[in-house]
Amino acid sequence: MLRVVKAEVLFAGMGEIKTARGDGILGCIGLGSCVGALIYDPATGTAALAHVMLPEPNGTELIDMPGKYATTALPALLEALGSPLVPSRLKALLIGGAEVFQNRQNALRIGTRNVEKLHSLLQARRIPVVFEDTGGQAGRSFEFEVATGRLTLRTVGSAPQTHDLSYLLGLLAKAG
Amino acid sequence: MMTTELSLFRQDALREIGNIGLGGAITALSEMTGVRFMLEVPEVLELTTSQLHLVCPKEECLMVGTVARVEGDWGGEGAFLFPWESAQVLWRILTGTAPADLGELNELYESVIREVANIMLGNFLSAISQLTQFELHMEPPAFAVDMAAALFSSLMVEALYGQRELLTIETRFRVPDQHFEGFFLYLPDTGSLHKLFNALGI
Repeated sequence: MLRVVKAEVLFAGMGEIKTARGDGILGCIGLGSCVGALIYDPATGTAALAHVMLPEPNGTELIDMPGKYATTALPALLEALGSPLVPSRLKALLIGGAEVFQNRQNALRIGTRNVEKLHSLLQARRIPVVFEDTGGQAGRSFEFEVATGRLTLRTVGSAPQTHDLSYLLGLLAKAG
Repeated sequence: MMTTELSLFRQDALREIGNIGLGGAITALSEMTGVRFMLEVPEVLELTTSQLHLVCPKEECLMVGTVARVEGDWGGEGAFLFPWESAQVLWRILTGTAPADLGELNELYESVIREVANIMLGNFLSAISQLTQFELHMEPPAFAVDMAAALFSSLMVEALYGQRELLTIETRFRVPDQHFEGFFLYLPDTGSLHKLFNALGI
């Protein structure tokens, strides 16, 4: 008897990095100012996801989780993808970076700064950001199906949104 | 600073500070509403997302939160968090009605929660001031309704960024016979804990 078992979602918690291929699903829950930075390699069909908390380390603290900072997350993501020789073939997705508390005095704008830092780091390596849902005031959760390029985004107070990113990720060429 | 770096004695002292401060806050809330709120013994904990499960079994459950900056001798951030259903209880007590869902939330409901946070944090701080002779001022609270994890992680990241102590004094308060839970966190600035211990002579 055949049973269809939906793959379990690998959720990246704060500062974590998760990698998946094939039927794998990657996701983050409750991103506020944090950013889910996902990099997909069309050549291997592998995706790696970091739950980035801050733009960069602010001192000499021990980097126990490279996914925690944008500056350390990107090299770690590339390593997780097997350090591809041609990074420009990779595709990036950025989700999160909201400012959930409104009317904040002396707002630190961490969400915005996380997104800006990731953009400049990706640009320096010529990795295109093919999908982005960042900023604003709403927290986000998402799930990404590696095999199909289907992305489901959730925010409170609105219905989940599904995006088919197969074309943007260069998945169609292999689909036939 | 981690909880493990604090002696048990100092952890006890912080718990007691929390108890005294929150006692003042809860009394104010009870006076404001005419409803008797019960305070649980505060805990001194390291701030991690796993504490989320204490208030919200699901990370995506809807939560109403306020956070206010505190300036002065014991600076930090004071935050009150209420699961949506508990905020509805507060709204019903204070205004007679409550928004059924997020779409019905308006400025009036928002200002009610801000006011509750204002009064509670204000009383928390004046109780601490009386004990320590510290000068403490709070800024107007910021408001948010979002997934529990999004609120919690944003507070945590700010604390990390501001090199604040990842240490919280937190407690729950309840209303007997009603499904109500509130959650309070105080995130002291780095160095301010030493000032507090000095002021208390411990």
